[in-house]
Amino acid sequence: MRKFIESVKKEFLVLIRDFEGLSLMFIMPLILVFVITLLQERTYETVNETRIPIVLINNDMDSVGFAFTEGITNDDFFDVTIIEEADSLQMEQSKDDVASGKYQMGIIVPEGTTKSIRNRVLALVNQQVPAMMNVDTANLQQSVLVDLFFDPITKDSFRNIIKSNLREFSSKIETRIVFLTYSRIIDAMTNQTTEINYPEKPVIEFDEGYVCEFGQIDVPSSVQHNVPAWTLFAMFFICIPLAGNIIKERYDGCLDRLKTMPVSYLTIIVSKLLVFLMVTILQAAVIVMVGMWVMPFAGIQPLQLGQSMGGFVLITVSAGLAATGFGIMIGTIAKTYMQASTFGAVSTVILAALGGVWIPLYIMSPVMRQISQLSPMNWGIQGYYEFFLRDAGIINVLPYALKLFLFFAGCVCIAYFYKIIKNKHIA
Amino acid sequence: MEKTAYIEINNLCKTYIKGKDPALDGLTLSINKGEIFGLLGPNGAGKTTTISILCNLIKPTKGYCKINGFNVEKEFNLIKPLIGVVSQEIAIYKSLTAYENLMYFGSMYGLSKKELKERIGYFLEKMNLTKFKNEKIDHFSGGMKRRVNLIAGVLHDPELVFLDEPTVGIDVQSRRVIIDYLKELNNEGVTLLYSSHMMDEAENLCSGIAVIDYGKLVVQGTPKCLIEQNDSKCKTLEDVFLQLTGRNVRDYF
Ligand SMILES: Nc1ncnc2c1ncn2[C@@H]1O[C@H](COP(=O)(O)OP(=O)(O)O)[C@@H](O)[C@H]1O
Ligand SMILES: [Mg+2]
Repeated sequence: MRKFIESVKKEFLVLIRDFEGLSLMFIMPLILVFVITLLQERTYETVNETRIPIVLINNDMDSVGFAFTEGITNDDFFDVTIIEEADSLQMEQSKDDVASGKYQMGIIVPEGTTKSIRNRVLALVNQQVPAMMNVDTANLQQSVLVDLFFDPITKDSFRNIIKSNLREFSSKIETRIVFLTYSRIIDAMTNQTTEINYPEKPVIEFDEGYVCEFGQIDVPSSVQHNVPAWTLFAMFFICIPLAGNIIKERYDGCLDRLKTMPVSYLTIIVSKLLVFLMVTILQAAVIVMVGMWVMPFAGIQPLQLGQSMGGFVLITVSAGLAATGFGIMIGTIAKTYMQASTFGAVSTVILAALGGVWIPLYIMSPVMRQISQLSPMNWGIQGYYEFFLRDAGIINVLPYALKLFLFFAGCVCIAYFYKIIKNKHIA
Repeated sequence: MEKTAYIEINNLCKTYIKGKDPALDGLTLSINKGEIFGLLGPNGAGKTTTISILCNLIKPTKGYCKINGFNVEKEFNLIKPLIGVVSQEIAIYKSLTAYENLMYFGSMYGLSKKELKERIGYFLEKMNLTKFKNEKIDHFSGGMKRRVNLIAGVLHDPELVFLDEPTVGIDVQSRRVIIDYLKELNNEGVTLLYSSHMMDEAENLCSGIAVIDYGKLVVQGTPKCLIEQNDSKCKTLEDVFLQLTGRNVRDYF
């Protein structure tokens, strides 16, 4: 036991003197989680808060013009300036304003837009009941040109939004006119006057939300996703200093010295495991505390914890074990520190990308979500989501913890058998 | 009366890479208790390989060795407490201080904290390192590192110490301190197996020597006997050595 305690003490000393390793383990993830949370919060705000400035010239001054004005004003996407019955000078001015970037887009709903829709309807109805209509359809103007002009940097998607909005409004009005015209004809034929209550609300409405296996959940805020995700990333990154520690000990000859001493290899490796496991737990604690108490100072909403601290501890310890096991495996198999750090860094980044650290699971495609389940970081994130997003208890976290534990066991077994095979080879 | 050898090396062979020349090629040696035994040979002769096999760090391709009657490969756990190893490389933690290193390695032998403290104090004083005990090894000079490396191998009072070129590449002062200490250690009854390619050092230190080359035993005896046995031209062990191993420059590693 004393040998074990002394070994732990030694590992601890070696660790705290390894400044690069320490900064890799603590400073880097803190910077990452901070910057990325902040970035994602800001982009989220930008999309929501900055509206696109546009100018709308309503020369129609009839149903279509007004409906379109109202529709586009109510849309949060645009910051609309409306000019009614503009003269040619004002129209030129608007075009110049778009060209100079004051507006991203200009729309001119020309005079007679509504009228031409009406004419079109009349022409249509006339085909069926010419007697009732009594119009000369030959001279009716049936199409209008809506003038759209864009700042060259405007994205196609915005243009399309505008165009489809315009089409939607005009066809809505067309339908309405068609309906009203027919109802008037029917009234005339049946000699009655009907008061039609034409519904303003559309038939189809959208119910939006994000779906996951567990039913509907709110999309996690930037901080609720990033804190657990980058905690896991940081944990797995310790495979580099841990593998480095093992390799260095081997190269320094210290391991050979220990092999001639009455101490088992198990004592040596378990003391490393324990110290690095403590590091991963400390990492989780530090990053979570920063999320709760420091991030709010940067204007980020504070991290919300679930109730079941047991679940949190369970997933943290098992993820920590998985990461340490991974490090032990790399340290045992890699021949040089270069090999270990390259493989460690690349594999951690790949596991992180796959596991949903950068691109959260809930926006991955279904195929990617399947592949993602191969990454231990995925299990960790899912386990943490249970705690941070769904406020679930130990029972729900357990399957993920178990998987992580198996990963740890697998890594240690691989390292063990590799060592046995190699030792045989030395003979 | 036949004395049983303390260290018995029997037909030891080691081939690192199949098809290449063997590092050891049927080496047989026996070393008595209480000797300072010098394992001499040019670079690449197989000295480190021999010591590594005796310390169970690598396995022989053929042959076996015994220490104090215990088979090295099979009963190494019984041998561990008896031996101390001073390796050719500096095998201590560079980021720890001298004191921390010695405390750690000493505790692996189950020595109590109090006892260790005393011993470490004694050895540091002896090796002129007391002033630097709380300095990191990283900041030490080559000679200082060698001395700490030596202490780490003898701290637990072993009855047999392996020393692989313990004086290579260090200043005269450090070398003096180490050689004097080895003599003292031997006077206390400790057996030393010491490898070197420095003949003058071996000549005045060793009670018995073996010269090996290409993994084979060339000659074994006391330094005095060896000088007498050979040509009248040979006045020192170095002369004998050159005559036996030839004058070609060896530079493996
Ligand atoms: N790990 C190894 N792999 C392959 N060859 C080795 C290895 N270690 C030593 N050798 C070779 O074995 C021979 C003996 O080496 P060594 O025992 O270190 O010699 P010495 O210590 O006497 O200088 C040399 O030719 C060396 O090149
Ligand atoms: Mg050597």
